[in-house]
Amino acid sequence: MTRHSENVVPWYIWCAVISVTSAMVGTHWDIAWHRSIGRDTFWTPAHMAIYFAGVLAGLSCGYLILATTFAKDSFAQQASVKMWGFRGPLGAFICAWGGVAMISSAPFDNWWHNAYGLDVKVLSPPHVVLISGIIAIDLGALILILGNMNRAQGSARRRLNWIFLYIAAMVLICLFILIFEYNLRLYMHGGRFYRVVSMVVPIVLAAVSIASGRRWACTIVMAYYSVFLLLMLWILPLGPAEPKLGPVYRQVTHLVPAEFPLLLIVPAIVLDLLFAHTARWNNWLRSALAGAAFLIVFAAVQWPFATFLNSPAARNWFFGAMYFDYNLPPTSYYVRSLFLNTELTSAGFWFEMSLAAVLAILSARIGLAWGDWMQRIRR
Amino acid sequence: MPARRLLPLALLLAAALHAHVGSPDVFYEGAAGPYRLLVTIRPPVIVPGVAEIEIRSSTPGVSTIRIVPLPLTGPGAKLAPTADIARQSKEDPQFFTGALWLMSVGAWQVRIHAEGDKGPGEMSVPVPALPTRIQTMQTGIGALLFGLMLLLAIGLVSIVGAGVREGQLEPGVDPPPSRVRYARVTMAATATGVAALLILGNQWWNSEAGNYSRIIYKPLELAPTLQPGGRLMLRLNDPGWLRRRVDDLIPDHTHLMHMYVISLPGMEQVWHLHPEQIEAGVFAQNLPDMPAGRYQLFADIVHQSGIPETLTTEIDLPQVAGRPLSGDDSAGAGPPIGKTPSVATLSNGAKLIWENAADPLRAKQMTEFRFRVEPGDGIELYMGMQGHAAFVKTDRTVFAHVHPSGSVPMAALSLTNSDPHAGHMMGAGLPPEVSFPFGLPQPGAYRIYVQIKIRGHVETGVFDAQVN
Repeated sequence: MTRHSENVVPWYIWCAVISVTSAMVGTHWDIAWHRSIGRDTFWTPAHMAIYFAGVLAGLSCGYLILATTFAKDSFAQQASVKMWGFRGPLGAFICAWGGVAMISSAPFDNWWHNAYGLDVKVLSPPHVVLISGIIAIDLGALILILGNMNRAQGSARRRLNWIFLYIAAMVLICLFILIFEYNLRLYMHGGRFYRVVSMVVPIVLAAVSIASGRRWACTIVMAYYSVFLLLMLWILPLGPAEPKLGPVYRQVTHLVPAEFPLLLIVPAIVLDLLFAHTARWNNWLRSALAGAAFLIVFAAVQWPFATFLNSPAARNWFFGAMYFDYNLPPTSYYVRSLFLNTELTSAGFWFEMSLAAVLAILSARIGLAWGDWMQRIRR
Repeated sequence: MPARRLLPLALLLAAALHAHVGSPDVFYEGAAGPYRLLVTIRPPVIVPGVAEIEIRSSTPGVSTIRIVPLPLTGPGAKLAPTADIARQSKEDPQFFTGALWLMSVGAWQVRIHAEGDKGPGEMSVPVPALPTRIQTMQTGIGALLFGLMLLLAIGLVSIVGAGVREGQLEPGVDPPPSRVRYARVTMAATATGVAALLILGNQWWNSEAGNYSRIIYKPLELAPTLQPGGRLMLRLNDPGWLRRRVDDLIPDHTHLMHMYVISLPGMEQVWHLHPEQIEAGVFAQNLPDMPAGRYQLFADIVHQSGIPETLTTEIDLPQVAGRPLSGDDSAGAGPPIGKTPSVATLSNGAKLIWENAADPLRAKQMTEFRFRVEPGDGIELYMGMQGHAAFVKTDRTVFAHVHPSGSVPMAALSLTNSDPHAGHMMGAGLPPEVSFPFGLPQPGAYRIYVQIKIRGHVETGVFDAQVN
């Protein structure tokens, strides 16, 4: 069932897109802030961008829920779910939950700093509440789009599909923020790096491929991911910054961005081809093939690329390998462009790689199931 | 957000015990090149935290002051971040304020760079960053966070239920009973998962709070025993705090320990003694003649890192037939608490006048406690200083050993590469006035013991102060 007004992208989906983008830009900005300036206040522009995401998602989806609840438009009500007497799209409830979680984290974080000090680490209970809110907004935005996309046809579906894939890329970028400390280039010749990436990426790509239905869904997602990170890599260093916390081992003059994006677009192309040719296969077989292929192809391209990133040829604005945190001593592996062995023996390395393969397969299998579930979202 | 945490934390609310007792703020008067600066640093009670800085220039013409925090020792002491520009008061252009992050527990310094019509000048002020408490959760914020936690937990379960029940139905289709039942089962499972997450979160929170409580400052304990012949043995016991040692003390005015012994309850008599270290963590002092009674001990030490500590205890002593005071040891006496005038008659007949005794005192506000000796001749340095003052709250919850340069231990100051005696009068021919920059930390009654050396003899004037 569809109707004429669904041929245009609804305003609340654009709000979700802005919200998700603001959260990711803010988070990258914030990380760059801590890598170059060190200390901050609640009122930094990076924090404002993050909290703006929560406020926008909360307000827009809150309004959407109220408008749907009290709408005279029966179709809007029919295409909604009911919760606590309110009606609205399922994704709107999830986004609103994410907004409330993000806003709740602010007084919690403030109290935490007053009780246990001004932590500058990523993982603390209030930060987890904040990150949960961001992830909820990402997932809510996905489902908000799916509710419309799965009912739409033709050009409307194609438009929503592009936005869906963009949001999926933001989900992946958000997940990469959680694990960024394991993904630095000095770890790229260790098994742990491939294990961590294998846990995170196949689940999203498999789910997106199924839910989107586009032949090149995985490739498009990874293209969005790559472009976003490249923009962060190229734009953030334009902002002046100087360390405000000691010890200062490097005189940073500009914001230090995240690293060059992982070459995930290559395994994404392979996955798109595989998914297209195995549509009738048993899901476990598909997952096994997809997981193994993902790991092999990714390692085949990222391993030599990491060697390149650690070479003088990558120390330029394009590849960004010359950016270092202000507090990294010159003796650190990272500054010396060396690889750190996360496993002490080759047996340990192959154990990690084997584990990575198993996890990639399981991740792909969960992704297929999740994609199948998302494909059936109607409200 | 664990619900249990929303109850007040039954955690430490220890007194702010720093180098001084109950007086964590640092007061210092020194020279930054051509400028004489009075500096107040209020270190954070939670670390990492923000220290508040107040600087007043008593030399006119200062236009800009930059401040930057650095570890007192180690490689970080040489790797300064970009300095902050202190805010200049519009009403009082010689008054500057700022705030600095102290990121780790330990000895820090605030480097102050002043610029003005006499050129640039620089100085550093040591400041210990010692966490002293964990904040309990106020009822209001607790109720707010608990409400939000409930909203999010119940909201999550309800969203899952709504999604399973209706999310995949075509618009306008009512959920069949089987789907409603399935949604309920899923909600129950989700609620269990949410409860498990909250329990795990609570454990995480407890673990973080436990980790933090381990860095809460615990001063060394002082265990005194009296041996025959009036020899007082002092053992330093570590209750366990980070990686502190007792064999790393550095001399302050050539002494590893400065100890004030004050008679109780009247606080009329005071001894300023310097026990000798006989082995790591064990000091000994041959006591002078002392009447039987109860005594309060305040013992100042400085670690190699620059962290100063004041160790406190009380001891009951029998009448001690001891040895005459020698070296830098000294003694003094005054009237009972509350009965001192602003003029003290010293043992040599001279008078020590508290010149600004009539000025009202306000808690935490830096005051120059000014004293003048009449007649003012024959004044000498006492342990390198024109005078020493001990500020003691009459309930003994506050103790501070202060010099004319302020409350900073000279041993810590020497680690900043500053000359600890810069700007001070050296040698003979000292003026008859001496002042002590200090801020009494809390309202209440205080006793001030002021010691000045006149013609080879240390004289003690005893005064009382009231902070309202």
